[in-house]
Amino acid sequence: MKKLAIGLYAAVTIALMVWGFYQAIYVAPTDAMQGEIFRIIFYHVPSASVAFLFFAVSLIGSIAYLAFRRNRDGWAQIADAWALAGAEVGVVFCTVVLLTGPIWGRRAWGIWWTWDARLTTTLVLWLIYVSYLLLRRFAAGPQMQTYAAVLGIFGALDVPIVYMSNRWWRTQHPAPVFGGSEGSGMDPSMVHPFLWNMLAWFCWGVLILGIRYYVERQHQRFAAIEAQAALNA
Amino acid sequence: MDQRAILDHQFLVAAYAVTWAVQLGYVAWLALKWRAQKRNAARNPNNPR
Repeated sequence: MKKLAIGLYAAVTIALMVWGFYQAIYVAPTDAMQGEIFRIIFYHVPSASVAFLFFAVSLIGSIAYLAFRRNRDGWAQIADAWALAGAEVGVVFCTVVLLTGPIWGRRAWGIWWTWDARLTTTLVLWLIYVSYLLLRRFAAGPQMQTYAAVLGIFGALDVPIVYMSNRWWRTQHPAPVFGGSEGSGMDPSMVHPFLWNMLAWFCWGVLILGIRYYVERQHQRFAAIEAQAALNA
Repeated sequence: MDQRAILDHQFLVAAYAVTWAVQLGYVAWLALKWRAQKRNAARNPNNPR
């Protein structure tokens, strides 16, 4: 039953991805100012939103790990698995943001990169979470999860700064399309394709987040069995 | 199609291709990790299964 539900969810997600692609390429009209290149927004913005969401998952997991690590080890391990899964899948989406943004920038601005507040804070966010993953990969010992949780919390502090950067400072990056100043927004004919892609990327992200969480839990169980066997030997 | 539209199209294709390369690359890495983990668990005599 569980396998059927997961299979069904995966099938719906793939259908949504195909539908989102169709909406982005064939339904959304070409932008009068930017031409075809504007369609990158249908992958770039949802990827950023999902990355932020998963860094928030990592934040909650990290806080929960620190809260439970002394008295509820089972819960702490679950929280740690969510923290790792959130950070890792968040980095994947953030990588997409950092690659698609410059591709758009090269056509729109004539440059691949500029050190403005939005781009720089996003790069810093990505670097913090890459260092989180490197810490988890290469550090050993019982304190590793604690250090990682602290770094995960520290990294999440950058998320609101990235989000607010083009509101607080004048940036080369475009002003916010949604929730920005008066006159911001999107043409209604582009809103539906945008929302379909938001939904599709969200579902895709949740799918791979769930798989990553499951793989990490299996790893934890296996490590616990190994540790018990070593103690018994 | 003028030169600008052709370049726009190429950049759009590049952005979409890069997105899918990153996403599917990660899923492939995850699948390999999962398979290796299952194989190790099956080989380990301590694993109660």
